[in-house]
Amino acid sequence: MFKFISGFSFSLCRYARDMERPQNSVARTPTDSIMAQRRSKNKSYRQSYRSCLGAASRLSHTPGWTARRLNTSRRTKSHNITEKVNPEDLALLVKTEWQLSYVTPLYQFRHTQLRSYSRQLSAFITAEKQQGLAVEVEGAQTSFRVSFSAVQGLGETDDDAETVLLQIHSKPVFAGKDEAQKLVWSGWLTCINGNPEYLHLLPKDFTCLPLFGSRGAENLTSLVKSWFQQTFDCCFGPLEINQTCLQWLAALWTNCHIESSIQHLKMIWTLPVEPPLQITYTVNSQDVWELWNSVRNPSLESREEEEAARSIDIEEVTRFMQGLKSHFYRHFRLDLSAGRLSQVSSALGSAKFSGRIKMSNSRYVLTTLTLLTECALLKMPI
Amino acid sequence: MGSMDNTAKRLLQRLVRRIPSQMLKTTLDKWSRLTAAQRQSMDYAESKWALTEKLLAICEENELTVKHIAELEMIHVIENPNLGMWYVFQLMDPQDDAHSVELTQFKEQFKSHLSELIRHVSIKIKKHTDEAVWIRIAWGDTFSRPNHLKPTYVVHYLQTPYVFLTSPTSKQKPLLSQALVLSTRYQAIKDANLSGRKLTAIRDLLMKQYLQVFPTKFPSPLAERNCVVSNLHIEKEQAGSAANRHQMACEAFGDGILPQLQSAVYKLETKFRDHTNKTMTERDEPFKCVVKFASTNLLESLRHSASSGVTSTPVTPLLSSVPLKGKNYFVITDNGPGPSSQMKPSQK
Repeated sequence: MFKFISGFSFSLCRYARDMERPQNSVARTPTDSIMAQRRSKNKSYRQSYRSCLGAASRLSHTPGWTARRLNTSRRTKSHNITEKVNPEDLALLVKTEWQLSYVTPLYQFRHTQLRSYSRQLSAFITAEKQQGLAVEVEGAQTSFRVSFSAVQGLGETDDDAETVLLQIHSKPVFAGKDEAQKLVWSGWLTCINGNPEYLHLLPKDFTCLPLFGSRGAENLTSLVKSWFQQTFDCCFGPLEINQTCLQWLAALWTNCHIESSIQHLKMIWTLPVEPPLQITYTVNSQDVWELWNSVRNPSLESREEEEAARSIDIEEVTRFMQGLKSHFYRHFRLDLSAGRLSQVSSALGSAKFSGRIKMSNSRYVLTTLTLLTECALLKMPI
Repeated sequence: MGSMDNTAKRLLQRLVRRIPSQMLKTTLDKWSRLTAAQRQSMDYAESKWALTEKLLAICEENELTVKHIAELEMIHVIENPNLGMWYVFQLMDPQDDAHSVELTQFKEQFKSHLSELIRHVSIKIKKHTDEAVWIRIAWGDTFSRPNHLKPTYVVHYLQTPYVFLTSPTSKQKPLLSQALVLSTRYQAIKDANLSGRKLTAIRDLLMKQYLQVFPTKFPSPLAERNCVVSNLHIEKEQAGSAANRHQMACEAFGDGILPQLQSAVYKLETKFRDHTNKTMTERDEPFKCVVKFASTNLLESLRHSASSGVTSTPVTPLLSSVPLKGKNYFVITDNGPGPSSQMKPSQK
């Protein structure tokens, strides 16, 4: 990984000093880890996401710690990406549940080398799987075919690196010669609407694709991650979808009800009692939509088109959740805030605290991925 | 072709698969369809497959049929009533002689009524030691023989109006209801809106066979079971209200070990009322939602939530109705809890 060396006299040194703030945010990066040295010969460095946000906001005189949270306001435009994205890729992305991780920026990752990466990863996996086999038995091992592909059309800005899709096909051990290879593992790396300040501050050789989704056997997932770690000197970590993020998704999905019916909004809370209590609170779609509508800030725009692209503020989300909780309290005298929201789902998708996400409707993929990209960037250690 | 047809074989295979090897011996002994020599010849350390083959051979030897295998299954289910879902029904409006119905009469009447209603049905009735009457029903119809692979089990405690059923289908329920009503000398039967995996738990809940706590005029609090002393000052300050909460929690749910209910479902059809939200409060339509509480022991979770303050005390009647009324499905409207419907609600 990275060796932490402090005291480099690069021009970004002053940001290190700016880090000595009175606030004690738990989310702070360690003070001497701003400068990082790569183990390769090139003396490159990366600035931490938080420090760059902090510095920027300090320059504009806002307290640094507010920048270390999710954005407080979000655009809600739905995007019809079915025209722009390859339908097969889209079909793979939608309607599957993915396990999320965050990834630190990749060093010297080239979108032009995807074929070579496919070969390298295939070889790596095959080699790892063969470890321990004393005798090579003809045709008795599973063959893996890896394919890396770039997903074009998924993304809005030029700052975002193009999404990369990975698929691993394999033939089971005793399959006949004619049997087709089956898709046994798939994953993707993406960056949707990543913070432009951070992206611009990244040195040229780094590609930022902070959000990683995977589906398939756990051993294959760890092999893929190992290979990435070795090849691009990056670091993976589990990405939980925290309370705020889950609440955002609840609000964002409910907001879409007019355009695409959510059928219901289902929330699962867990309460810290003995034995643990799980509460599933499912609200009828029309009723929850009316509640959502009633907590919106009064619209400043009068034009119809703007209605669709209005942004949502965190206060509206908070009022929405509060409304749901107060209706619950009125009946059961149980405050759901004492518990933890562990899952939110609707016809448009589902999200679990454990980091599992499912996006069932292609129109809202970009909005969801924007939120998750933000989560990933925030969770990265440096 | 032996006495064991395909169904019998499948039933036996399924049984041997389900019954843990350690229990198989005792179950077979209770069954008493094997001779001493045959029982000796069984080696319970063998694989399930081997045991099945052995048993099949023995059953052929003894010329046993599917009816005998059904007996074996019944013995197993009676010993292990806490697998599978049970639904409670309640008999209503007893006739004058309802309370004097005794076992033989009930058995005869039930068998004769049900057989009249369905052409092909196989009924086995057994009285268990604790006053429970167990009935196993294999359903057929005009054209087909009874299907022993999908039986319904019924448990009825004579002298109570309660009947417990496993997996009744919508076709079978009216026939079963009719037969039950006629043979018990009641006039109607309704869904009691209580269900769960553990027969013993829902039975205990209904018959109030757990430590109930009644409100006392002299509040000497029940001793706290788990005393985690964190800070003496805080403890002292909080002692009064903690004891109060604990008392109210136990009054609502009971003391000691509580029957293991797994879930409670509330279908809310009440209006949204919140003084901070004018728009929603002025709405005429109800705010429709469904709330499901789930836990490995729901009553203990609810009790703990009340004693720890997560649920405000006094406990709302919506929650305390679970043990009080012995129900775990409720429809709540603005006019108070709605009458339970005759249709069996789907439990998710």
